[in-house]
This record gives sequence, structure tokens and C-alpha cells, in this order.
Amino acid sequence: MSTTSRSETAADTSRRPASGKGDAPTFWGRLSHSGPYRAVTDYVFGSTRRQFVLLAAFPIFWVLFAHLGPILQMIRVSFLDSYPPSVGHTPQFTLDNWRTFFTEVIFLRPFFRTLVFSVVLTFATLVLVYPVAYFLSRHVKRDNQMLLLLLLLIPFWVGEIVRTYAIMILLGNTGAVNLILKALGLIDQPVAFMYTNFSLGFGIVYLTSLYMLMPLYSALEKIPQTFSEAAADLGAGPWTRFRRVILPLSLEGISSGCTLVFLISTGLYATPILLGGPSTTLFSETIAGFFHVAGDEWPTGAAFSTIMLLTALVLSGTFMKLMGALQKGGRK
Amino acid sequence: MPTIEDPIVHIDGISKSFGRTVALQKLDMKIDPGEFVTFLGPSGCGKSTTLRILGGFAQPDSGRIVLGGEDVTRLPPNKRKVNMVFQDYALFPHMTVTRNVTFGLELKRMTRDRIAARVDELLSFLELDAFRDRFPDQLSGGQRQRVALARALAPDPDLLLLDEPLGALDARLRAQVQLELKDIQRRTGKTFFFVTHDQDEALTMSDRIVVMNQGRVEQDGTPEDLYLRPKSRFVAEFIGETNLLSGPVRHAEDDRVAIDWFGMQIEGRAFDRTPRPGDVVTAALRLEKVGFYDARPETGNAVPGRVVNRVFKGSRTAVDVRVGDAGAAILKAYVDRDVPDDVWLGWESANLAVLQD
Amino acid sequence: MTRNTRILMSIIYWAFVVYLFVPLVLMILMGFKDSKFIGFPIKSWTLDWYVGVFRDTEVISVFIYSTTIAIASTAISLTVGTWISVLLAGRSFFGRTVILGLTILPAVIPGIISAISFRIFARLLGVETGMFAIIWAHAVHNVPFVALVVMARLATLPASHTEAAMDLGADRFVSFFRITLPYLKPALIGAGVFCMLLSFDDFVRSFFLGGYEPTLPVLIFSKLRSGMSPEINAIATVVLIMTAVLGIWAERSMRRMGKGT
Repeated sequence: MSTTSRSETAADTSRRPASGKGDAPTFWGRLSHSGPYRAVTDYVFGSTRRQFVLLAAFPIFWVLFAHLGPILQMIRVSFLDSYPPSVGHTPQFTLDNWRTFFTEVIFLRPFFRTLVFSVVLTFATLVLVYPVAYFLSRHVKRDNQMLLLLLLLIPFWVGEIVRTYAIMILLGNTGAVNLILKALGLIDQPVAFMYTNFSLGFGIVYLTSLYMLMPLYSALEKIPQTFSEAAADLGAGPWTRFRRVILPLSLEGISSGCTLVFLISTGLYATPILLGGPSTTLFSETIAGFFHVAGDEWPTGAAFSTIMLLTALVLSGTFMKLMGALQKGGRK
Repeated sequence: MPTIEDPIVHIDGISKSFGRTVALQKLDMKIDPGEFVTFLGPSGCGKSTTLRILGGFAQPDSGRIVLGGEDVTRLPPNKRKVNMVFQDYALFPHMTVTRNVTFGLELKRMTRDRIAARVDELLSFLELDAFRDRFPDQLSGGQRQRVALARALAPDPDLLLLDEPLGALDARLRAQVQLELKDIQRRTGKTFFFVTHDQDEALTMSDRIVVMNQGRVEQDGTPEDLYLRPKSRFVAEFIGETNLLSGPVRHAEDDRVAIDWFGMQIEGRAFDRTPRPGDVVTAALRLEKVGFYDARPETGNAVPGRVVNRVFKGSRTAVDVRVGDAGAAILKAYVDRDVPDDVWLGWESANLAVLQD
Repeated sequence: MTRNTRILMSIIYWAFVVYLFVPLVLMILMGFKDSKFIGFPIKSWTLDWYVGVFRDTEVISVFIYSTTIAIASTAISLTVGTWISVLLAGRSFFGRTVILGLTILPAVIPGIISAISFRIFARLLGVETGMFAIIWAHAVHNVPFVALVVMARLATLPASHTEAAMDLGADRFVSFFRITLPYLKPALIGAGVFCMLLSFDDFVRSFFLGGYEPTLPVLIFSKLRSGMSPEINAIATVVLIMTAVLGIWAERSMRRMGKGT
């Protein structure tokens, strides 16, 4: 059957009204033989090259425009002397916004506080969550693993604001912790947990711990039970088994969990406002400050954001490289 | 009906390479309507590539595929009157048996009534009526295989491709399904193009077997041809168990070839090309064609020997017999009774096939 | 591993569960306190705060607003994420790694920076802050998660399934809609619910791209800034229960379907 005769028969039947049920073709049959559909598909699938171009065009446009565009525009604005553009003034190129960061000490403090905070909290989260992930993946039966994991996921689905609020109630002057401490007779006056480094750190760990658990769990779960049995068979004690077998094989999970938690911590905004105080200002609050005031502060905010982004990505990139090297080194 | 018709499939000089690996070298082949053709060979021999090119899933680098008189080389799978039973059956997991079989019919723009009639016909033909509303994961391996067959037969293809469809079945079931498949092919009169690496399957079902090796056809013939009259060492060794006997030709006349084998004079048949005296040739002798005698047999070839090894295999025993000058050679054979250590071995000349290489 | 470490490990796990749940339970309890003053101990109980929440037209309209944003942004993320996955899965071409990297990009940008960059970009495009800006930002932010989940699922779809569809007369469109898409269903449900939750819970992007109308987290935030009150607990509890139920439902239906295929 040649292509022409086929499209003719298709045209004939597409004119016939689709009546009844039994004597009509099904939806897919009608569709794939209808004239316009044939014309479109014959064109689209006419060559593999055209097919690929049509498939790829939209995703490529999307990632360039929607994913990369905002970042590029932010970098561009960071080099302008004013933005958004005002009437009668064309934005000019300048380095002043970047210079501000390095010359004004009041901005450097929150910047480094954020980095140190994030690194310390990432490590704390790792230490806290590793045993949990280890227990789940290696000491629980497979059917129960999912159930226990689901239990941990429930708080995870509750948003940042609600969970931050929960921490405020826990740690407040009339909060649960102070109530218990008072009831035990340990304190007379409530301890000021809130608006300190402690409350902020506690809250951030509370928010990010699940992002650490997931990669760790999936890395640990992949290690066959027989590996540590084999190590035990060769005379390795529990600690040696962990250090020489389990830990090296879970490096990948550690690496991605830490990166994830670090990047999230550096980007938190509501939590430091609600749980922190004047002495705990983080860089995200500094950046946001430039956007609450009208007009010309945007470029400075953009420059600061760019600096934060570059630092965070370079640090986590280096970290992942190092972990990768460690993994490879262990394999030799 | 395989009468004097045009071939349904004409594979016209197709070649295909993947990078530096040559998968097919100028393959030529004609397949008649209603034939059960099997492509047999080890993995990487090009049989699956041929199948995928016929199905439209791969494009040859050169050459043409002519199907029912129409050049379909550049047509995508959905525009060819060819259907396929996949190795893993590829049954759609989210559709019932009925929906799976319906799939191809809907796309032919058949009316609902005709689809229902055709599905009923196929499901009862393949004894699947009881399972019509089951999902693939609720079926046994043999049932899945039949559903895949029903689905591929439903659109009434000119050619049915079968890609090792019995590989997933256990040995006992496989033997039964082989016979069923052959029966279905006979009753539908469809042209089957079957690909396998399993010689038993090929010998049991096929009208014609094409043995492939390294992208080329080694031999193309009926199962009897391939088994009793292999052309090459590859075919002789790939199909069944065989003794290979090499030696110089003493004299040759018509198809009769006399060979000097470790001082023994033996006679075989050259089925293709008669070698000249002095050529060193190899001849193939099937294990079960070797007879055991207490004294020298009167007709055919005969050599004395001594049994050096016996392996019990249930219904028969595999024995190694040392023969020739100072016991220089070993002949393997099967025997279904007790034999003494010193025996005479004999076989008909027609069972010693002189190979081409 | 010895018995003792085993017990120790299980204690650590349950301690972690307590750590995760206690603050939330306390927060829920506080929503039943018969006093405007947040703090322990709770001496008398009431349902008044909840009654108030369900009568408060502002809260209800904000809830509808947030839900609309979540549904719209999820629909976009699912479409785009699936399209990208189909392009990237099982195909190698020049620049594939770059596109993959760019696809993941929004997921690794710290929250505040992501919000700021969207704010600046919206200004460039002339998009007013408000619903559309938030929908767009949430959609972009969630595409990586959809793409990762869908690509993982696509990798397990045997090539023979789509080949069989084509063999039976389907072109690539039909084969995608009748074979690939149903196969992706569990992944799409999982990713979709995850996107809805991310959008519904998102604060930083909604805050910087929002107009005069707040989303639920932004509303709770602004109420918190003007002082804690059991009313907030009641709102937060309603949000919590809904997200948890949605999450558990998605997890269950994904698991059931995962078994089916």
C-alpha cells in the first residue's frame, strides 16, 4: 500500500460522522487515521533529525530561559549602578556593588557567620542522622524499613514556617523545655534559649535533618549485608568493620547529604528571622534587606547574592571533589 | 501455501556495522509465503540485527528490504505489515490480555465490532479465553508467550518475527511450546521468521534453517540438510555432536571421496564440491551414526578400536574409542548396550559428510 | 553486630522520632489552649481557635490561593519535567550533560538566592509580583525533582515496550500516551504530590514574589511577626494535617502501584 492511497482512505473516513459504538473505530484508531493528525505526524516523524529538534527545542529553551536566565540576569544587575531602571537614567556598568562587600566590615560578619554556621550545622546533622540511617538500613527488616521511613517523612512534609514555629513554642521562655526544667527544680528563672545561636542552630538542624537522612539511607541500603559478614569472617571487629567497610562505601551518601544540607542552610531566610536575634544575623537577612527598600539597592543585593552563590557552589563543589577523591583513594 | 509465488520477503544485500563491529555483510535471502524460517547462530552472529532490520527498528547501512513487492527499507515499524513477538514478550503491564490484543487492531481503524470478533477468534484459537481480563503479571510464562503471539498475529501481518520467544520458559515447557508454535504456524499459514541460538528449537520447528556466523550465512537448508550434510566445520560443530575427521584425499569420484585417516581408509560424501586428490579435508560424523560390531562389518566404513572411556547418560552411554595407527585418534560414539573393550566401529559412507573448509 | 549496639541503635532511632515529633505535638496542643497567651502550662482547653479559623474568610481565601498556586505550578513542573526527562533518558547527544546540569540547577541554588534571582528576572520580564510570578517560580524550582524522579522511572521502562507499540502500528505520540505515560504514572503521582507540598510549604519564593495577597506560609509568618497566638497554632495544625495526609496518601498509592508493575 502506498502512502498516497492510505491518506486518501483516511480522508474518506474522517468525513464520516462517528456514530454508534460498535460500527465505529475507537478513539485511537480515528485519531491516528485522521487527516490533520496524519499531516502533522508525517511531518514531525519525517526525519529523525527533525524529530529530535522538535523534541529538544522546548527543553533547551526552558532550561536556558527559566533555569539559567534568572541567575544570569542577577549577575548582570550586580554590575549596574541602578536597577530597576528609573525614568531618565540608563543603568551604567560599575564595580561598586562588589567593592561594597569587601570594604564594609558590617557585611563580612554575617557572611562568615553564615558559612561557619552552615558548616558546623551540616556536620552536626551528619553525626546526628548517620546512626539513624544506619539503623534503618541495616537493622530493620525490609518491610518495616518503609514504615519507619514513612514515620520520619511525616514531619518532613510539614513546611519550614510551621516547623520553625513549633521550635519557637518548644524553646520559648514559657516553652516546654523551660517548663520541664522548672518542674525538675533545675532552674528558677526561664533560660533564654530563644533568639540565640542555640535556638537558630537547633531549628536549622530540625529543618534539614531529613535531607541528610535520605541520601545516607539510600547509600547504606545498597551495601550488601554479606560485606560486613565477610569482614567479620576475616576477623574484623565491629569497629573495624564499620570503619573499613561500611563507612567508605557510604561516602557517596555522606557527600550528597552534606552538600544538600549545606546549600539549604545557607539559603534559609524565615528561620533566622524567627529564631535568631540581633547577634545572629545571617547573610540571607543582609541580602533581603536590600530588596525591602525601594530602588537603588537592588544591584548591591544582586552582587551579594552572587557572592553567596559562588561561595556556596565553590565550597560544596570542592567538598564533593574531595569526597570523590577519598572514595577513589580508598579503592586503590 | 508454499507454491510458485513471489517471495514474501526479499532481503537484498543488506550490510550493517555498529562502530567497528560488522554485524551483517551483504546478506541476501528470499523467504516464501508460509515458510517457517529460523535464523540460528551464537550471540553476535547478526541474526538479531536481521530481525530488527526486518521489523524496522534498525536501518541497514546498505541494501534493501522488499516486503510483498514493496521496498520498506526506510519505513518505520508502525508502517510495516510485520509484527513481532519480543524476547521478553513486552506485554503492556497496565493492560489486560484483551486490551493488549486489541492495541494493534484499534490502530488499524477497525470498528469495535470487528475488533471484538477478531479478539474472540484469536483468544479461542490460542486457548486464552479464560484469561481475557487478567493482567500480564497474573499469567504464567507459557500464557504470556501465547498472549504475545495473539497480539502479534492480530493485525494479520505478512511476516511474523519471533525473537527467541522461548528463552524465558523452563526446559519442560519449552518442548511443548515448540510443538504448539509449529502447529499454530501451520494452521495460520503465516510466514514465521524465528531467531534463536538453540539448535533443538531450530531443528524441531523449522521448514528451513539459516545458520549465521559473524554476519554471514554459513548454511541455508532444511533441518535434515544441516544435520546430516553440514557444509562447514562451524555448522557441524554448532548443531548436534559430531566427530571431525581430517586427512588427505586419496581419490575422489563424483561425490565419493576416499580419505586417509591415520592410516585408515575411510569413505565419505562431498555434497557440494568434490575435492581433488591430495587436498586435506575434514569430514563430519555424527556420534549416533557410529555403529558397534563384534566383528568387521561387511558394508561401509569399518575401523577396529578400543574403548577407553565410558560416560553413563541414562538411556545411552557415551564412549570414547581409540582407533587408528597406534591409537592415534579418538572417535566418540553413543551406544545403548554393553560393549566389550575391543570393538569394530562402522558407518555408512553417506553419514560421513566432507566439509568445505 | 552485637545485641547491645543493636539496642543502642534502636534507642537512637526512636529518640530521633521523638525529636522530630515532639515540637509538632506541642504546637498542636497549644492550639487547644483556652488563653490568648502562648506558653505552658495549658490549664484549660477549647476548640474556639479552630472554629475561628474555619470562620475566618481571610484564612480560607488564602488557603484557596495557596492551593491554586500549588496545583498550577505542579501541572507546569510535571509537564516540563517529563518533557526534559524524555529528551534526556536513554539518549546521548552533544550537550546532554550541560542540559542535565541546567535541569538540576534550580534545586542546588540556596533558597534566598533563588528567590532574589526570580524577583530580579520577573522585573526584567515585566511580570508583576503576585500569583503568576509565584506559580512560575515554584514551577521552575520544582522541575528538577520531577525530572530526577521521572528519569529514574524511565530508565526502568524496557525499550521493547515502546518498540512493541510501534510494531503494532503506533507512532511515537500514540506510543508515548498509551505506553510510556501509564508506565510513568506512579512516578508522576509521587513527584506531583511532592511538588504540591513544596509549593504549598514554600515561604521564601512566595514572600519575595508575592503581591498584596499572602500565601499560607507568608500569612503565618506575618501573623507570627506581630505576635504568637493560639490562632496561628490552629492554622498551622490544619496545614500540617492536610500535608501529612496528602503525603501519606501519595506514598501509599505509589507503593501499591509500584507493586502492580
